[in-house]
Amino acid sequence: MTRVLLADDHPMIASALEMLLRGTDYQLVGRARSGKEALAQIDQVTPDLVLLDVNMPDGSGIDVLRKLRKAGEERPIVLLTAGLDDPQLIAADDLEPDGVVLKTSDPALLLECMDQVLKGKTWVDPEIVDRTKAARQRLSSLPALTPRERELVELVGQGLRNRDIAARLGVTEGTVKVYLHSIFDKVGVGTRTELALRASALIGS
Amino acid sequence: MFLVAIWLDRSQPAQSAPQTYAFLFLYLCFALAAAAATWRNWWLDARLAVPSHIIDMAVFAVIVFSTNGYTSPFFLVFILPLLSAAIRWGWRETALTALALVVLFFSGGILVAGSVSFELQRFIVRTAHLIILSSILIWFGIHQRFTSLFVRLDDFDSLIGKTEPTALALRVAMEAAGANQGTLLARWEGDSSFSGLRIVDGSVETIDRADGLVNDAAFGGAFLFDVGKNRALTKTARSWSRFGKLLTIIDPAELNRLGLSEGLVAQLRSGTAEGWLILEGIPELSIDYVELGRELGRAAGSVIDRSALVSAIEESVAAQTRWSLARDVHDSIVQFLAGASFRVEAIARAARSGKKVDADLAELKRLLVEEQTEIRSFVDALRRDRAIEIAVVVEDLRALAIRLSQQWSIHCKVSVEAKDAAIPIRVHLDIQQLLREAVANAVRHGEADHVVVELAVEGDSLRLDVIDNGKGFGESNGSLVEPWSLKERVDRAHGSLMLVSKPGRTDVSISLPLSGAT
Repeated sequence: MTRVLLADDHPMIASALEMLLRGTDYQLVGRARSGKEALAQIDQVTPDLVLLDVNMPDGSGIDVLRKLRKAGEERPIVLLTAGLDDPQLIAADDLEPDGVVLKTSDPALLLECMDQVLKGKTWVDPEIVDRTKAARQRLSSLPALTPRERELVELVGQGLRNRDIAARLGVTEGTVKVYLHSIFDKVGVGTRTELALRASALIGS
Repeated sequence: MFLVAIWLDRSQPAQSAPQTYAFLFLYLCFALAAAAATWRNWWLDARLAVPSHIIDMAVFAVIVFSTNGYTSPFFLVFILPLLSAAIRWGWRETALTALALVVLFFSGGILVAGSVSFELQRFIVRTAHLIILSSILIWFGIHQRFTSLFVRLDDFDSLIGKTEPTALALRVAMEAAGANQGTLLARWEGDSSFSGLRIVDGSVETIDRADGLVNDAAFGGAFLFDVGKNRALTKTARSWSRFGKLLTIIDPAELNRLGLSEGLVAQLRSGTAEGWLILEGIPELSIDYVELGRELGRAAGSVIDRSALVSAIEESVAAQTRWSLARDVHDSIVQFLAGASFRVEAIARAARSGKKVDADLAELKRLLVEEQTEIRSFVDALRRDRAIEIAVVVEDLRALAIRLSQQWSIHCKVSVEAKDAAIPIRVHLDIQQLLREAVANAVRHGEADHVVVELAVEGDSLRLDVIDNGKGFGESNGSLVEPWSLKERVDRAHGSLMLVSKPGRTDVSISLPLSGAT
């Protein structure tokens, strides 16, 4: 039996996975509901395979993956996700998980993925492969923001007003306006609200 | 100065000299004391305005008596209260002061009419002087009215965000100037041509034009115009008059097209748009209106800027609501459907291997029916108007409590102390999601099996208390560990969360504002 740990904060997924693994060579040995809990349980239950949801409280699946990779963890890790935005796709791709499965794809693919990663192979949902490629293209087609512009986008994302941004960056309010217009043109947004909403995607955090 | 004047004039004071000197000396002391007390003290200055004004007038009356009325250098004391009334207040107060002083002077004159030195002709001439001087100062007081013109514009504030900005800006300017016709041309940031509207006797028409209106920068701020006489008049920075020919300042074809005759043109001063205000049919149009025009350009610009700010705020609220809804759909519906498809796959595999699947199918059906009810209430809430009755909120919350009781195998009860209240949809959706998360926390972390939900309307807030009998929240560095996902959602709704936790009783108290939500 292969011991599986699931980190996912949604109750419906946990009970459904338990059912799905019934009658297979996999056994659900633990369940974590946050990133922090996942790290603790990996040490406690010593699973053979870890399934990580991406959007979780107290550390996302990507944060957990990053920590495990840093710690030299070698057991197979599969990201199980309902959807990733561009920065998440790129971050996940850079961390090279053993598998990435979309919750919205055919559930049979999850079992297929688990089988493959146990054999030491990498299995990534074809849709994720395409979307990662597209995300990387979008990123490279965007004119690069200068460090100063990135700083400004971050402050707009935090909801600061021009006057406060100017004070933070030690420039005049007029300079902030000029910078903002250049950023609007570069990233193709029309309003400040749009920029604020896309801030985290633009600066990749 | 008056004291020096009568001291030099041997003929004065005509009556009771020592007393008059003593009185004037006392008045001088009073004036100096008042000046010292009110020096850089705007509060006392305002407080003493009326009493010192009455004292000034009383002194005038006494001096008229003591210095034999009309021959005395009383003008000095006459001008003082009149001028201060004109500076301090408006024309009505100036007129009242003038009337009181003329009556006092007249009475003084009649009292001394029998004396030897009385000359009727000089008395009449001096009375006429008083009346002319009063009229000048009353006129001065009337023309201070421009500063108070904007006071009545406060009524327009409530229309910002509800009325089209250029129409509102134009109406504000027309109201302030007393104009019966008005045109506003504006070009927004990023636009290549001007657009605007014209109001003539209450009817509105829209207009467009490609270029700017005013060709001469010297007449850029505000100027008066007369098309028939080809005249334009403005004021320089040093308040000197500058005369010009209208046809060189505004294109004649444009004057014809706009059908202008006589009035005021003012540049719109705004951070979001550039343009002009043209006001016509202003009664008593004078050069003073050039300065007023500059102020109106600023006022109209401010209306446009504030409208832009209001719409930016509304846009941002709508964007936040969309994001919040997307998150709700992702958190509940997408995750549920993913779980359901896992179950379907598991059931299909079990069926293929010849196992009984009836119980699993029944369980899946139950889950699907429950979720369907949830989705229906979610969609209903979205379909309803901006706010719904609290009775509907309570009904939905009770249904949710029953589902949560089944899902977690607990007892979950809703108790309500709410009067009639309208609950915004956003708050309705938020409290449902908050209850789901609070119950999940209570069961998962606190191992609770009884949950009581209390709902109450308190002032402008809706309070949701979720009380459970679990072992409570843990502590970190001496303070309670905050329920992360609840806190995040409450913060987004601009509400507050209070947590009281001890083994056996945990109370999560959430307050959400009812105004400002959509």
